[in-house]
Amino acid sequence: MLAAGLSVIFGLMDVLNLAHGSFYMLGAYVGLTVLGVSGNFWLALIAAPVALGVIGALIEVVFFRRIYREGHLMQVLLTFGFTLVFVDLIRWRFGPQTHSLPTPPGLEGAVHILGVSFASYKLFVILFASVVALGLLLAWRRSRVGAILRAGVADREMLGLLGIDLKRVFTGTFAFGAALAGLAGVVVGPYLGVYPGMDESILVLVLVVVVVGGLGSIEGAILGSLLIGLANAIGPLVLGGFEAASIFAVMAIVLLVRPQGLLGRRQ
Amino acid sequence: MSRLRQLRPRRWLGQAAFLVFLLSVPAWAPNRFWINVASQALIFAIFAMSLDLLIGYAGMPSFGHAAFYAAGAYGGALWALHLSSALLPLLAVGLMAGASLALVGALALRARGIYFLMLTLAFAQVVWSVLSNNQLANVLGGDIGLISVPRPVLPFAADVSLFRPANFYFLTLTVAIIVYLALAAVVASPFGHTLEGIRENEGRMESLGYPTFRYRLAAFIIAGALAGLAGMLGGSFNFSATPATAFWTTSGLAMIAVIMGGSRSLVGPAAGAIVVVLLQLGLSSLPARGLAERWQLLLGVVFIAFVLFLPGGLYGLLRRRAA
Amino acid sequence: MNLSTNSVTVRFGAVAALQNVNVKVASGERRAVIGPNGAGKTTLFDVITGQRRPTSGKVLIDDADVTGFTVWRRARLGLARTFQRSTLFANLTVAENLAIAIRSRLKVGSRIWPGRLEREVGAEVSSRLEMARLPALRHRLAWRLGHGERRIVEIELALARDPRLLLLDEPMAGLSGAEREAAVTRLRALPEAVTVILVEHDLDVVFAIAQRVSVLDHGVLIADGTPAEIRANRRVQEVYLGGAD
Repeated sequence: MLAAGLSVIFGLMDVLNLAHGSFYMLGAYVGLTVLGVSGNFWLALIAAPVALGVIGALIEVVFFRRIYREGHLMQVLLTFGFTLVFVDLIRWRFGPQTHSLPTPPGLEGAVHILGVSFASYKLFVILFASVVALGLLLAWRRSRVGAILRAGVADREMLGLLGIDLKRVFTGTFAFGAALAGLAGVVVGPYLGVYPGMDESILVLVLVVVVVGGLGSIEGAILGSLLIGLANAIGPLVLGGFEAASIFAVMAIVLLVRPQGLLGRRQ
Repeated sequence: MSRLRQLRPRRWLGQAAFLVFLLSVPAWAPNRFWINVASQALIFAIFAMSLDLLIGYAGMPSFGHAAFYAAGAYGGALWALHLSSALLPLLAVGLMAGASLALVGALALRARGIYFLMLTLAFAQVVWSVLSNNQLANVLGGDIGLISVPRPVLPFAADVSLFRPANFYFLTLTVAIIVYLALAAVVASPFGHTLEGIRENEGRMESLGYPTFRYRLAAFIIAGALAGLAGMLGGSFNFSATPATAFWTTSGLAMIAVIMGGSRSLVGPAAGAIVVVLLQLGLSSLPARGLAERWQLLLGVVFIAFVLFLPGGLYGLLRRRAA
Repeated sequence: MNLSTNSVTVRFGAVAALQNVNVKVASGERRAVIGPNGAGKTTLFDVITGQRRPTSGKVLIDDADVTGFTVWRRARLGLARTFQRSTLFANLTVAENLAIAIRSRLKVGSRIWPGRLEREVGAEVSSRLEMARLPALRHRLAWRLGHGERRIVEIELALARDPRLLLLDEPMAGLSGAEREAAVTRLRALPEAVTVILVEHDLDVVFAIAQRVSVLDHGVLIADGTPAEIRANRRVQEVYLGGAD
């Protein structure tokens, strides 16, 4: 989910958003706050992406518009500046400790399938993520907005020629990517915990997924997630505890064979 | 050209004044804390200058430079803990450790621009996760890292203790000056011009007969080696080598230093590094503790302002004033 | 230095940019390649220099197969080219641009202690600027050059390698009449041993320089001969000369 957001932002806008992890973290904290006030997990699940969408749009309009011409490096660095600011703000407001989001009512128990027990919340996450992924895929392939975005990834100037307001598309994409990240933050909250630094721990994983899957392609992001997830699960069995090594191995192989990623377009 | 010539004597004067300033730090620093801050600033300056070779001159925006710093820190720590703490071999170990890891990280050279940035970032994170892996704790110390690393011992003057802040400061100052002079020679040399050509237009360099991959590899290894050197010094300064040094935020801080100072100038990034360290450590010495904890926030805001309003960095501002 | 392409084909997906192109250029020959836009002239150059691998076919230089050679290896054999779109090193001065090309020939580009050789490079930069009548532009950054100046530096950059085979991709595009004349004079003054292949739309320039002309249309070589033969060729008149007039 995160990877999809990052991938589309990157593909369309050519911005590598290091603050993507921060959006994910902010989403988790928005969830935490809403949950604290209302006590309703589902409300938090809606509030986080909405709030992050607004934050994302604001950042795009206020900051990014100014520097699209400055080139990639500056944009990346700008997002890095934001990660510093966000993580410190969160630490300031919520403290350095890990908060846990309570598991939503009805999903606390475990489910037994074929004699193996699964935590029902984990099952819910898997199901939820699959639904979101499927929804994204459908929207990406079938809807008008998806068509515009795909066209934009392929050739940005074309969009302008077609009379589509690029600025609004950019803002929308950025906001949407942020919203997805925020959603992911809330969803994982109950089992990974919510803490300052969760942004950093997730970001690189997402980057690897995006690099492996190919930039600017939602299908690639989903495929990459599955592949890396698989490497994550199998790697330790083969390599004895070196998840990172197995992830890197997958990335190295993919890049040596297809530098543009599995489903990425050619440079 | 004539303008450049006029500037030159002033530049020499400025450099001499700056050198005197650096040499005199231990004399006027109010206490040992500030001498240590100065040492750390210089170590970080070496690190930032090595990154400037890649970003400013060769046009290779590495976001994984911390990996090579960590390689030097760990290499130096292992050497000092298990073999010897003689200074000169230790310096060589720092260089070699950085260079060897750069050889591994050369995988990233397949990509360019933003893709290169992402690959170096991912590579450094893998290095970080290997360093912090607790299954390797008996060798690398797991997430705690290597501790009780002894300070180096000077050749011919073993009784001059590098445990004394001022002495260690002079060591880092010497190394920093040598690294600066070496890098200045490299970027002014034909090799440096070739790197600039590759930055400007790699395809054109190839059609002029330059095997560009080899040059990019050489730049990557030189920068890695010097980062390793900085890491080795940092390790002995802190008496430890920790996985956190390899984390991507360390690379990010170095990048901030390069951009804030102004890339493609060596002095700029060094100055930027000093500013970053002063912000980080200086704030923590202030009585207002609330402010001290917010150094990242402050740095982030200052940096965002730089990116938005002064993308050429401090050095760029000076250059514009001079022109 | 002679060059031949051996049934070179380049496909982009379903489109064939070049189809079975066989060109033979003798050592010291001045050859022009003409054809309408999109005929595959630049693609042919890319294949010859190694910037693009052909889908099938071979490239031979001095009768040796170089199809698998990298761009820089071919350059070291004595190949040099100019580009249709200016590809100077924008943030370097004109002198630095030239120095990079000269160092490549003298093999000092990798040195950190160049010693005496770097002085030789400096001297050659001066003499080449003199020859090209550009000494005033010595310290100008390349991106600040005017269009005509840029094209001339572009050619000088290729010449600075002392090439034995020179590929010029529309060197005259956008030049004024006087600039054109100067450039033609400069090219005619090249040593006779140098093989030159020229892509050019200006037929006056083509006929002033070239000894033989090859005509490409939609990736196919439709004619190959002396300027007189080409002028008389019916098919060429249809697809190219007729269209241009």
